[in-house]
Amino acid sequence: MTGEDRKQEILEALKNAVVQYDEDAAKEAAQKALDLDINVNDAIFNGLVSGMEEVGRLFEAQEYFVPELLMCADALYAGLDLLKPHAETMDLGVKGSVVIGTVEGDVHDIGKNIVKMMFDVAGFTVYDLGRDVPLDKFVEEQLRTDSDLVCLSAMMTTTMVGMQKVIDRLKEKNPDVKIMIGGAPVSKELADKWGADGYADDANNALKDAINMISSLKKMKEDAEAKKSS
Amino acid sequence: MTVDNSSPRQRILNLFAGKKTDRVPCFSGMGNVTTEGLKKFGYKFAELHSNAKMLADAAASTYKLFGFECGIVPFDLCVEAEALGCEINVYAHSDDILYPTIKKKLITNEEEMDIRIPSDVSNRGRMPLMKDAIRHLKSDIGDNAVIGSYVLGPFTLAGQIMELNDLLKLSFKKPDKVGKLLDNLSDVIISVAKEYESAGVDFITVREMGATSDVLSPRVFKSLILPYLKKVFSELKSANVLHICGKTNDIAVFMLESGAKAISVDQKNDVAETRKKIGSNALLFGNYDPYNVLVSGTPELVHETIKKCIDSGVSAVWPGCDIWPTVPPDNFKAMMDTVQQYRR
Ligand code: B12
Repeated sequence: MTGEDRKQEILEALKNAVVQYDEDAAKEAAQKALDLDINVNDAIFNGLVSGMEEVGRLFEAQEYFVPELLMCADALYAGLDLLKPHAETMDLGVKGSVVIGTVEGDVHDIGKNIVKMMFDVAGFTVYDLGRDVPLDKFVEEQLRTDSDLVCLSAMMTTTMVGMQKVIDRLKEKNPDVKIMIGGAPVSKELADKWGADGYADDANNALKDAINMISSLKKMKEDAEAKKSS
Repeated sequence: MTVDNSSPRQRILNLFAGKKTDRVPCFSGMGNVTTEGLKKFGYKFAELHSNAKMLADAAASTYKLFGFECGIVPFDLCVEAEALGCEINVYAHSDDILYPTIKKKLITNEEEMDIRIPSDVSNRGRMPLMKDAIRHLKSDIGDNAVIGSYVLGPFTLAGQIMELNDLLKLSFKKPDKVGKLLDNLSDVIISVAKEYESAGVDFITVREMGATSDVLSPRVFKSLILPYLKKVFSELKSANVLHICGKTNDIAVFMLESGAKAISVDQKNDVAETRKKIGSNALLFGNYDPYNVLVSGTPELVHETIKKCIDSGVSAVWPGCDIWPTVPPDNFKAMMDTVQQYRR
């Protein structure tokens, strides 16, 4: 077997381990990838993450449901834990950090956890505040961690209004921070009205949007610094 | 023989008994408090949950103000979990409408799943208060409106006392362990329901929203959830309803198999399709959107939506979830008028 074949085999094994929610298989394949000196970013993105993409498709097709999704995520984390320490800065074009949580009065956190997982996978540093998070906690945590992005989730029309308060308070303290909101009752229109920078209806779009936002944020900062120094 | 439809209550009891009714009733088995009702009494939402009289006043006000044909307590989903020892948060500091939640879970890891059920579980926490509230409600509006209460389904209750994420995964990894917990919790639910029955409710709704097909596959619903729902329904003496929100058309037949007298589904389903699946005789309650239609819609939208529910063959016009408190009075009136005037 050539080196290239072997590599394909291991990427395939990583992918299957995630799809079949097999944590042990994921660890084993990740270890093999390290032993054989396979490029770690390759192993993560063309192995584990491509498995997760397949899981996303199965979820949309209603072949997989939330429990399957959570177990696939565990398999993915199992592989990721081994690979991540060896990864070069992940090549997404950006590297960001995000504060995420479900707003006060709301304990619906299944959707939030799925969104969070996407950020983990993409190499973001994630500060997960959990559910039923007091509104000011989002502001404090953003300031403490100097995160690029704050993600708010709400599943009820009553708790959703708390988001608006968080957005106002965050923007007042730190006009540069990007804020993304989501959850079933939230809409693009509301996000615009409340001055959020992003909205997504599912976890995949959340990640895409986040990456765009952070790139533009980084660019803004660089431009500002370039101006200062010139 | 003429059928006695002299009061909304009688009409609903007839419906449950399989007798003919002159029109579909309009009621719910889930929370039905409105901000209009709270205004009438000057009550704050956060104060209601721990005061039997206030709870009953608020529940009765929807019948008094709008003619909604029921009175239901409680408004939150924490009663059983509290009786099992969980502490709850009612958000006393808040003037907004925030629904009570569990502060700390009872089971924090897999090893703790083999819980011991206190022998006096049906008298702990707010149980005595709920029974008081039911009695108040009954003497206040019980001649004309149906009085009801709800319990959680075993799986949803399990999700209140342990981390839902863990419960969902264990449903695959350790179905036996989960089954045992659900079996234990069925006993809790049965004894709670019996207390409500003895306090005088006309009917009981079992809310198993944690097992909706938005979250759990129909296959697991059938193998793991259904057996314990059957157990619960086999013990209920009063009229009863099984409610699951979200997408449920793929499990509608199982819902009926649970032994529930009626099933309730929400707005995510094409209810004409549900009707086809369960046949023309089964009692099907639904399925207007309590927020996007009743709260934020116009009276015209309410009117059209209710007509569509009736045309699709619901046995009772009934919301997809709790009545959302901030209903504009004109919308509530539009709903009640449509039910009274429109015939299929
Ligand atoms: C499971 C559930 C529960 C569980 C929650 C357990 C948990 N740990 O999450 C329990 C039983 C505890 C519960 C309680 C209540 N619930 Co509930 N619940 C649901 C249910 C059935 C499923 C929600 C879910 O998890 N969906 C699956 C996930 C994967 O989807 P998702 O959350 O939408 O997430 C996706 C997107 O929205 C998006 N997304 C989510 N967050 C974010 C964030 C960002 C930044 C971005 C970009 C994207 C994003 O990406 C996710 C992945 O694709 C829904 C009905 C339904 N079918 O939706 C009702 C529902 C949300 N509940 C409802 C209600 C009313 C309640 C209660 C108030 C009932 C009561 N009387 O007490 C309480 C609330 C308690 C509280 N204070 O929080 C209503 C809300 C109505 C409204 N208009 O506000 C709903 C809609 C039911 C209905 N038919 O009306 N509930």
